[in-house]
Amino acid sequence: MNFQDGIAVVLLIAGCFFYLAGTVGLLRFGDVHSRLHALTKADNLGLMLVCAALAVLAADWRISALLALIWLLGLLAATVSAHLIARHARRGWE
Amino acid sequence: MAGSDVGKQSISNRQRMVWIGQTFVVLALVWLALNGLDGWWFGLLAASVGAVVGGLLASGQPHPWRPHRLAGFALFFLVESFKGGIDVAWRAFRPDLPINPEFHRCRLDLPEGQPRTLMVSVISLLPGTLSADLSDDGRELIIHTLMPEAMDSVWRLDARIRHLFSLPAAEAADE
Repeated sequence: MNFQDGIAVVLLIAGCFFYLAGTVGLLRFGDVHSRLHALTKADNLGLMLVCAALAVLAADWRISALLALIWLLGLLAATVSAHLIARHARRGWE
Repeated sequence: MAGSDVGKQSISNRQRMVWIGQTFVVLALVWLALNGLDGWWFGLLAASVGAVVGGLLASGQPHPWRPHRLAGFALFFLVESFKGGIDVAWRAFRPDLPINPEFHRCRLDLPEGQPRTLMVSVISLLPGTLSADLSDDGRELIIHTLMPEAMDSVWRLDARIRHLFSLPAAEAADE
């Protein structure tokens, strides 16, 4: 295992840790809005770290650009769906 | 009156042209990432059509961003993403679950369109804040926070977005 693989493994493990943290938050936090915090923020960081690890392994500018694009689309999906769920939950209670 | 209206119109058209140009560059870069230089002429055509149609259909006043300030905004966003992810992970794993959720109302002074959309979207990815609802006129945002001090980052984000789009500084931010 060379240096490049080592960096990728560290990034992958860190990314998986944040996905796990997001899921733990989803299960442990008490209400819909707090749970959304765990999902959006921890998964955003998890996806970023996993994409960074794959970019390091690929060592190719085009694949890195595509991974960055995937991350941005993932962010967009996360933030829009979190806002819609949060709004629905709030208006439903009023 | 008529003179100032005409002046405003031409500024607006110029902004729309800049916005179309920026959309074209972004679309062309996405094409380049997806396909490389194979069939580049078709990529340029598709990016041009996409940018022009998008620019003409964009509702309201387009707000072009400053390309040289995008890097600063991206860095701010990366740092805040790390802080947000680490913060929420720490709270999820702590046995005593240190969260204190509450709702805040805040007035949005950013202009309609890209600045406001960016603000509402990015708030959910900052540490401890989630945009929970937007009033129907778009002037008031309900923010859900995990801890009371999280609201500070909302004002920092507001200042960053004003900088990115070259908008005047907020007067209401220090209220």
